Amino acid sequence: MNAMHGSDDQELDALFRAYRDACGAPDPSVNFMPNLWARIESRQRFTFSFSRMANALTTAAMALSLALGIYMAIPSSNATDYNQTYVEALAESNAPDLLELVSPNFELPIQPDR
Amino acid sequence: MLVDFEVIRRAQKGDAAAFNEMVLAYRKRILGTITRLIARPEDVEDVAQEVFVRLYFSLDQLRTPEVFEPWLHRLTVNAAYDYLRKQRRRQEFRMSDLSEQQVMLADAMAGGKVEKDETHQKKVRESVDSLLGAVSEADRILLMLKEVEGLSLKELEKVYKVNENALKVRLFRARQRVLKAFGSGKKEGAG
Repeated sequence: MNAMHGSDDQELDALFRAYRDACGAPDPSVNFMPNLWARIESRQRFTFSFSRMANALTTAAMALSLALGIYMAIPSSNATDYNQTYVEALAESNAPDLLELVSPNFELPIQPDR
Repeated sequence: MLVDFEVIRRAQKGDAAAFNEMVLAYRKRILGTITRLIARPEDVEDVAQEVFVRLYFSLDQLRTPEVFEPWLHRLTVNAAYDYLRKQRRRQEFRMSDLSEQQVMLADAMAGGKVEKDETHQKKVRESVDSLLGAVSEADRILLMLKEVEGLSLKELEKVYKVNENALKVRLFRARQRVLKAFGSGKKEGAG
């Protein structure tokens, strides 16, 4: 059995050697080099335009971030409203009414002489 | 090495003439390897060009010119894999097609009557292509590099970046599968 296996091994080796001889390298066509350089240049162009697009997108994203940052940093005009406490704000908004209660400004009806 | 280290260094720096020199030196070898790996003559040149395009764009990643050849083999194997993945046209292993050819071939070789004519070469190619259909695509390429291209285990180690023992195990298993198919083919042919 082992002898048979050994013989198969040798035959397989011989077959592989024969295969190598049978599959010689083909000659390159005359257009091999021009086509190769055309492919290289086409890929270079693609890579170049892709990197330009990526750069443009990065710049736009940075500009947008900066603009948003500035917008968020500027204090809004209503911000001063929140400097008071709730009680102070309530007191301020009701102040005229209180004054009216403390010193009501009304005239007593004149009693006609009887 | 088919080119001087200096040529590789110049190509790494973007010298187009040096790159041309490298391509001219290696293209025949690469075409031969790809012919055996993909077994489709009409696409060989296309895959070879893809190898050199990848070489052009990754040459700056090569650390030292000493490892150029295993590295080029790696690019070749990867391009062949990619091609085969795209094609998905693996030949089916059909035992009936093998048996007669293999028996004839084995007999001819044992008797030292290897004919060099085109018909015989065609039969050899078909036999080996069918036999290698018994193993996975990855193992087929590995066996091809070892048995047909004649790469040593050390060289394969650099190509595959795995240790020698792992490669030995993988090669042994793949070879056993091919041997089994070879033996079965012979038996059927004899029967």
